[in-house]
Amino acid sequence: MSLEVWAEKYRPKTLDEIINQRHVVARVKVFVEEKNIPHMLFAGPPGTGKTTMALCIARELYGDQWRANVLETNASDERGIDVIRGKIKDFARTIALGGAEYRIVILDEADALTADAQHALRRTMETYSATVRFILICNYSSKIIPPIQSRTAVFRFKALSEDDVREFIQRIVKGEKLKIDEAAVKAVIYLCEGDLRRAANLLQAAAALGDKITEEMIYEVASQARPDDVKRMLENALKGRFKEAREILYKMLVMQGLAGEDVVREIHRQIYALNIPEKAKVELVEAVGECDFRISEGADALIQLEALLARIAASKAKAG
Amino acid sequence: MWTVKYKPRSLKEVADQTEAKTRLLKWFEAWKPGSKAALLYGPPGNGKTCTVEALAREKGLDLLETNASDVRSEERIEHFLGRGVRETSLLGTRGKLILIDEIDGLQAQSDRGGVRAIVKIIRESVFPVVLTANDPWDRKLYEIRSLCELIEFKKVPVRDAVKRLAEICQREGVKADPQALKAIAERNQGDLRGAILDLETLARGRKQITLRDLEILGKREREADIFEALRGVFKSRSALSAKLSVINVDMDPDEVFWWIEQNIVNEYERLEDLAEAYEALAKADLFRSRVIRRQNWRMQAYMMDLMTAGVSQAKREPYRKFTRYQRPERLSFFSKTMAERERLNSLLGRLASRLHCSTRKVKTEFLPYLLYLAQQDERFARRLASALEASKEDLKMLASFYG
Repeated sequence: MSLEVWAEKYRPKTLDEIINQRHVVARVKVFVEEKNIPHMLFAGPPGTGKTTMALCIARELYGDQWRANVLETNASDERGIDVIRGKIKDFARTIALGGAEYRIVILDEADALTADAQHALRRTMETYSATVRFILICNYSSKIIPPIQSRTAVFRFKALSEDDVREFIQRIVKGEKLKIDEAAVKAVIYLCEGDLRRAANLLQAAAALGDKITEEMIYEVASQARPDDVKRMLENALKGRFKEAREILYKMLVMQGLAGEDVVREIHRQIYALNIPEKAKVELVEAVGECDFRISEGADALIQLEALLARIAASKAKAG
Repeated sequence: MWTVKYKPRSLKEVADQTEAKTRLLKWFEAWKPGSKAALLYGPPGNGKTCTVEALAREKGLDLLETNASDVRSEERIEHFLGRGVRETSLLGTRGKLILIDEIDGLQAQSDRGGVRAIVKIIRESVFPVVLTANDPWDRKLYEIRSLCELIEFKKVPVRDAVKRLAEICQREGVKADPQALKAIAERNQGDLRGAILDLETLARGRKQITLRDLEILGKREREADIFEALRGVFKSRSALSAKLSVINVDMDPDEVFWWIEQNIVNEYERLEDLAEAYEALAKADLFRSRVIRRQNWRMQAYMMDLMTAGVSQAKREPYRKFTRYQRPERLSFFSKTMAERERLNSLLGRLASRLHCSTRKVKTEFLPYLLYLAQQDERFARRLASALEASKEDLKMLASFYG
């Protein structure tokens, strides 16, 4: 049975359906027509069509047999480069179906790889370049080491405009025969921040609330679906209730297994909404930055975030 | 050494052990060649050897002694004791007492034949033979045991140990806090020799000792358990003693790290203390990551110092309270929820592959909406479950973790 998730259901199936990114589509089409693609690097904000582009290329090259000729792997899920290398090696050894000369490896969230792992990946890319083409996907190309960048065609995906998001919303509205007012559409555009995946999720959840989607329903979904754990955690810390703050942190990192970076990013986002002096916000940004840096250097997220929370709690106590 | 200086001169001076002393005397008075030997047994430092020495002195006997530090092969025992136990002295009129100390220290290899030689000595000696052991029930001592009268020396009760420590303090002119003496006695668990050694370490060259001084004492032999180590880290004022308190814990430094992490909140209450303690731990964690990422084991020393001394120095004042320390939730969580998490991860993996993204993105970008949808719309929940080949329970579990 198909997974009834609109973000997936309305994911473009052909290059022509992709929302905007015309500069990329135009060049990729040439590669596809010549049946010869280089190694590629797609960089850009989330929800702008990078993975979709890669999947569309595979469909156009291999038709119905695309799944057999594509290895989708994700750097943030595969522990260590050795796993990735092993998978790629096994994959590269078998011959492409349907007479294709090479197969495709899509390596998503490639910026999750350390520099060392990327160097190992570079060698793997060279070793198998006769039979395998790589499409690396990341948010920031600066996180990819220069030797890899120089071996790939780098494509930067643009942040999507309001009109782009609106176009995508209209597709879903038409496809699902939704009733939605203009204020609700504007709310989705505002809340999704150019991320089409989030736009689809917001619409789908709101549609479950009633026949006609309103602005209120969109905001209701956004507030319900955005876990307010981080907010509650910060509020507790600010009131000097460290133990309670720590419990919430434990729930997120240990029970739910959320990535430390995601929690840090969310804290960063919320700083400006906190009820503290303006100057304290700036100080907090610095502390969060230090915490983020340490985690990126390999320190334990739980420990570093605990230290951050304890610091927030103590600074409040000092201020009175 | 005070352990030598204050060795009991007479049986009366031997602390406690009333019953053992009576039995030993009775055995000695009744002894004639061919009688059983005496085997004094019990934990270290409770007066076995002292008692034998005091007995010899009181009865005016020469003490012929060998202990675990001598090599005790058959020839050596025979050479050292053989003639002595069979011949009465030609010159003196004094009798003899034979002491074979610490017989459970006999080594299977280097003391080969040692047991046989000892058995021979016991059988042939014209003088009374006393043996001592910590553990007389060792299999290799079976034959010796059958030739001995067993006399148990119990742990010295705290009350008697304190009394003895107080006497020594008085004679040394040291003013001692009774609580400190009690603590010394308690930590030595019936080992009076150990307690006197500790006392000397603390009191030599000083006029008084208090409870606080105990913090400088390291552990002797016995494995410190993790709770004691935590007390050492959290309660001590000295950076060094906090550092030393974990060295005898039979645990991976990483595990000790999580024990400390768990219990900072149980011990410290002042927010400033908490902040400093967690910062110290966070710095220890940086060194920990260097150990792990670069396999640079030299960095482990700094990790350990920061997590012990660093956390210990975070407090303004030690908290005068009893703290019930807990096992690390993080570690127990991982072992307790193994099966659940495996099911969960396989579910998240299936979702990730259907949605062409990482499980991390599934958690942050999709789950909040999917769970909300499933809660609002029963039909959606059923479809989701069947598409993922998941049961209702699976979805419930998902919701309980991420709801």
